[in-house]
Amino acid sequence: MSQDQSTFYEEYEVFSRKKDGMPLEHRFSLLAPNAEMALILAKENFFRREPIADLWVVKRSNIRKMTQEERLAFGRLDKAYRETKGYADLVARWRAFKEKNGDQEVEIDDAGI
Amino acid sequence: MTPEYKEVLTELLFQLADDDFIHAFRGSEWLGLAPHIEEDVAFSSINQDTMGHAVIYYKLLEDLGMGAADDLAHLRDASAFRNGVLLEFKNGSGEYLDSPQYDWAFTVVRHLFYDVYKKIKLEALKQSNYEPLANAARKILTEQTYHLMHWQTWFRQLMQSTEEARARMEQALLRCWEDMGGVLTYGQYGDEMTALGLIGSEEALKNTWLAEITKLFSEVDYKKPSDEPKMAHGNGRNGEHSADLDHALKILSEVYRSDSQASGW
Repeated sequence: MSQDQSTFYEEYEVFSRKKDGMPLEHRFSLLAPNAEMALILAKENFFRREPIADLWVVKRSNIRKMTQEERLAFGRLDKAYRETKGYADLVARWRAFKEKNGDQEVEIDDAGI
Repeated sequence: MTPEYKEVLTELLFQLADDDFIHAFRGSEWLGLAPHIEEDVAFSSINQDTMGHAVIYYKLLEDLGMGAADDLAHLRDASAFRNGVLLEFKNGSGEYLDSPQYDWAFTVVRHLFYDVYKKIKLEALKQSNYEPLANAARKILTEQTYHLMHWQTWFRQLMQSTEEARARMEQALLRCWEDMGGVLTYGQYGDEMTALGLIGSEEALKNTWLAEITKLFSEVDYKKPSDEPKMAHGNGRNGEHSADLDHALKILSEVYRSDSQASGW
């Protein structure tokens, strides 16, 4: 092979689907000179004992990944009020509210929440 | 089952079993030597599959009272083997354990030639009137698609790679052409095999192979040799073999001959 060995093989990421209609899952990585070879090598290297319905290979260098700095963009303050779990204590809060205002008429009971 | 039917059937089964067995053995001698690690794993897997196909056929012979499957594989003399001579040739010079200088191009072309034919043959065997054989063919076919895809990929890539790769591949193509005729023949009982309904005609299958190989050749801009595939080193279907088969049998049966208990493992 006249090409430089250090650039001849490239990393490929291997994805598979267990059954049609199921999501694609990232499974493994391997070295291959091109996509065709990556596909036939992935099949027998990783799925000899495992039934699959579909197989994808993607050259790693074609994937736009995030830098460590960009991953800081995932940082966030607590915004529980945007999620259901932010309201999990509503029952307790109603009870406390009613007790505090025991002498007043509060029409809403627990079941009405 | 008439005695004649059984005789011709066992002849066919030995051809099928021995082809896969010897071919898988030569393939297994690449273990640890294949061009790179992922190919090593994939190729070893394919060889295990192919060895498994041989086992299926030897078991069919065992069921016909021809002897134990393991004995059939390990204890027969070379002259009793019915594989095509092309499949028994060494992978290259040297020995597996002593400076192996194996020829990858030869291996790729030999596997391509054989696997294209094997698929055609299995499709034909699905129509065999010997039901256990038809069932075996259906089972084996499920693995054959990938095997064929594997070697077609290697073939296309090396034929369109560097000048050196192309030159080595063309040399291997000519060499395999010299003995592929021995794989494509059914041997001396060929007409009976077809007449008895065991398998479609040798001529029809050979023509299908020639058509498929020609198509593959044209994809990579290679001209099919004008003459028919030959059997320059003898007709293995009739028990004619090269010294390479003795060499293979000696190695593969060494443990079995020295301690038959060991085969249980």
